[in-house]
Amino acid sequence: MVGLSAGEKNFIRGGIEQDLRADGRQRQDFRPILIETGVIPQANGSARVRFGATDVIASVKAELGKPNPLQPGRGKVAIYVDCSPTAAPAFERGGGEELSTELSAALQKCLLGGKSGAGAGIDLSSLMVLEGKVCWDLYIDGLVVSSDGNLLDALAAAIKAALTNTGIPKVDVGVGASPDEQPEVNISDEEFLQFDTSAVPVIITLTKVGREYIVDATSDEESQMSSAVSVSVNSHGKVCGLIKRGGAGLDASVILDMVSAARHVSQKLIPLLDSEIDAAEAASLAGQGSDVDP
Amino acid sequence: MRDLHLQQLRLNQTQRVRLQTALQKLQDVSPSSAAATVAVADNIPVNHEDGVLKGHGTSELDGQVVATLCGVVERVNKLVYVRTLRARYKPEIGDIIVGRVIEVATKHWRLEINFSQDAVLMLSSMNLPDGIQRRRTATDELNMRSIFEENDVICAEVRGFQHDGSLHLQARSLKYGKLKSGQLLTVPPYLIKRRKQHFHHLENYGVDLILGCNGFIWIGEHVETSNGVMEGDGGNKVEESNESSSHSVPLGEKGQRLMSLETRQHICQIANAVRVLSTLGFSLTTEGILEAAKASISLGINTKDMLGAEFHVQTAEREVGRRMSLLRKKG
Amino acid sequence: MASPASYALRRHQQQRRRPLQDDNWVRSDGRGFHQCRPAFLRTGAARAASGSAYAEFGSTKVIVSVFGPRESKKAMKYSGIGRLNCNVNFATFSTATRGQESDHKDFSSMLHKALEGAVLLESFPKTTVDVFALVLESGGSDLPAVISCASLALADAGIMMYDLVASASVSCIGNSLIIDPAAEEEDCQDGSLTVAFMPSRREITQLTLTGEWSTGRIHEATELCLDACSKLGEIMRTCLKQAVSSST
Repeated sequence: MVGLSAGEKNFIRGGIEQDLRADGRQRQDFRPILIETGVIPQANGSARVRFGATDVIASVKAELGKPNPLQPGRGKVAIYVDCSPTAAPAFERGGGEELSTELSAALQKCLLGGKSGAGAGIDLSSLMVLEGKVCWDLYIDGLVVSSDGNLLDALAAAIKAALTNTGIPKVDVGVGASPDEQPEVNISDEEFLQFDTSAVPVIITLTKVGREYIVDATSDEESQMSSAVSVSVNSHGKVCGLIKRGGAGLDASVILDMVSAARHVSQKLIPLLDSEIDAAEAASLAGQGSDVDP
Repeated sequence: MRDLHLQQLRLNQTQRVRLQTALQKLQDVSPSSAAATVAVADNIPVNHEDGVLKGHGTSELDGQVVATLCGVVERVNKLVYVRTLRARYKPEIGDIIVGRVIEVATKHWRLEINFSQDAVLMLSSMNLPDGIQRRRTATDELNMRSIFEENDVICAEVRGFQHDGSLHLQARSLKYGKLKSGQLLTVPPYLIKRRKQHFHHLENYGVDLILGCNGFIWIGEHVETSNGVMEGDGGNKVEESNESSSHSVPLGEKGQRLMSLETRQHICQIANAVRVLSTLGFSLTTEGILEAAKASISLGINTKDMLGAEFHVQTAEREVGRRMSLLRKKG
Repeated sequence: MASPASYALRRHQQQRRRPLQDDNWVRSDGRGFHQCRPAFLRTGAARAASGSAYAEFGSTKVIVSVFGPRESKKAMKYSGIGRLNCNVNFATFSTATRGQESDHKDFSSMLHKALEGAVLLESFPKTTVDVFALVLESGGSDLPAVISCASLALADAGIMMYDLVASASVSCIGNSLIIDPAAEEEDCQDGSLTVAFMPSRREITQLTLTGEWSTGRIHEATELCLDACSKLGEIMRTCLKQAVSSST
């Protein structure tokens, strides 16, 4: 990571204080957001999201498996993030390990809800095929292609888009199987169930620099943070997860204020993401994708 | 996944068409040297009777001259070489560059300058804070950090090459030295052409613009280079802000003097203009950058929206217009 | 709609239907035995890197970024020639069933060997060039795709090379030799031959053979590979020339 000189640091801090960041944004502005869906054809669902120069890909794969005996009526979801060396040579050979683990854990906390399953972004009981025997295992993989700050928010948006793009095939279970045997399953090629992603939350990270907080920080701005709070909010305005990151301590009132700021920002971000995702889906269905070959 | 680098812009269908048309027109207008392009291991046709000097990017195989790089073949008298188009920075003596200190070593600083190797700035090639010309003593060596420390951004000039190919810099003149309030941008070096002037004081904006030949561009608050004395580290010290005149100068939370909002606005506009031109792959000249910044003001575009798709397309179209009118004047 | 090709159960069923020594056997994508998949090549895919390339061979998709030449770390001894550092990674979603990529731990060193013979290491002494390959979709013949794409990325980055490196592999299934095997063909192959070749210099930089082969077979397979590599070399050359002329 390249360091910044004292003058540059001051410039960034001053900008944040004066509500005019280095690229002209205000504290609550996001960078231009680009979404493409269906980028990984061999996955059940996938999406690529760009926040400025931060570029991430999320893919969703569904495989049949056995449900957890403690929760026989639900499927399973696993989230895993990988930081590729193509993003930064520093990520080579385990250099990105720590960051990957942190991001994976944060995403799991925000998207999977409480232990009872309440408040999960994905309704796990919809993944059930045959109670106690067969369920869908969802593997959600995130890949960081290029990093310029705010990876968590970008990954969450990518996962939301990928889930919208995901089709789970319909499964017919063979009847008459004895309770001890593994039942016959017939996976349909034709019919798919789309996920209802209206409950999938977005994550908004508020980075505190000095007295103020900003959304969608670039790497340079993140290097100046005293601490950050990532809040996961769903379309009903409910908070689905909250993680405090970074060193400095925060007063409780500040954290609550940040939570309400995040909810306020989410009211603009969620409709924006939804419309971008819909546009991306329409574009990929039309077959041309969003790129042109010269 | 099949990507054009302009994919980072969210172009709708009309904008995409407009941009492609503009870029196509620019290609048609500029002189193309398609005949002389080579890829790696292509044969370069030479007249062997004349004798030929094999230059950069060439190699010999079975008596034939073969390219080891992709680019355009250039011939200067007997010298044949390959010039890469998206070239890495190629330093020349006298180049003005902007670099970042990565190490403070004995009697010299090492700077990162977007080149394959780091550059060296000797303590003897640097003016001392008290401005006196004298031999550097051991105390000076110990106090190197008071002049420049790690991560500082410095403007300097290329003095020469060391035997192993790395660069030697000098920063003796007053216009060189540490750069303080502002932002540093990195662009591909081939977009910056060598000109007479690389320092630009944009008076209307109160902004210093330094186009380093190595692809580092500094945009910062204007600094008066006063006589002979190196500026101390006055950036964020708590000044005696008891002066009543300072109510016009914004103060930060720690009481330090902040940049005026207007200057900051100008810096951001110029910086965004540089970003837009760099994304479009246009050469970076002061005129071009100022043009783009003025256009954004006259079109009433918000600074942050300069990075949006519409302004990119408009800038490309404006460039087409400019080149066409240049051609008309010539022809 | 994303086509589902990723159910553990389904893969199992497909593997059982192995093509036997049946002369009427046709390849699943309709290709001839000696026909390669069409290649899609693009340079300059990743702007942050010094050079990059993206390649698609059927369903095999690879992206390679090249960084450098940059200062080598101080711990390295002083060296009169440059260092080439290669790293091949598979995206977690690249294979049909997750976790299959553990077979490919040696790809990084094989990529290094394939490129070493072509790069002029003397042109960047004391510095390092990093080559990072990422396999986005593993559809068979992954290593040849990685090698060819990496060679394009190095050319895009302006690293001096004697020649481009094109690579192809041949699978032996029963009595037939098939070139550029897809993933399901590789899974049931009796043997394989992978060649990395410099088409203009006509030099092989790397050759690996697995399985039991007669000498005559080896000749035949090598000829097939070299022919495919020459053709691929032409396509790579065209791609680079187009990139150069479009940025003039």
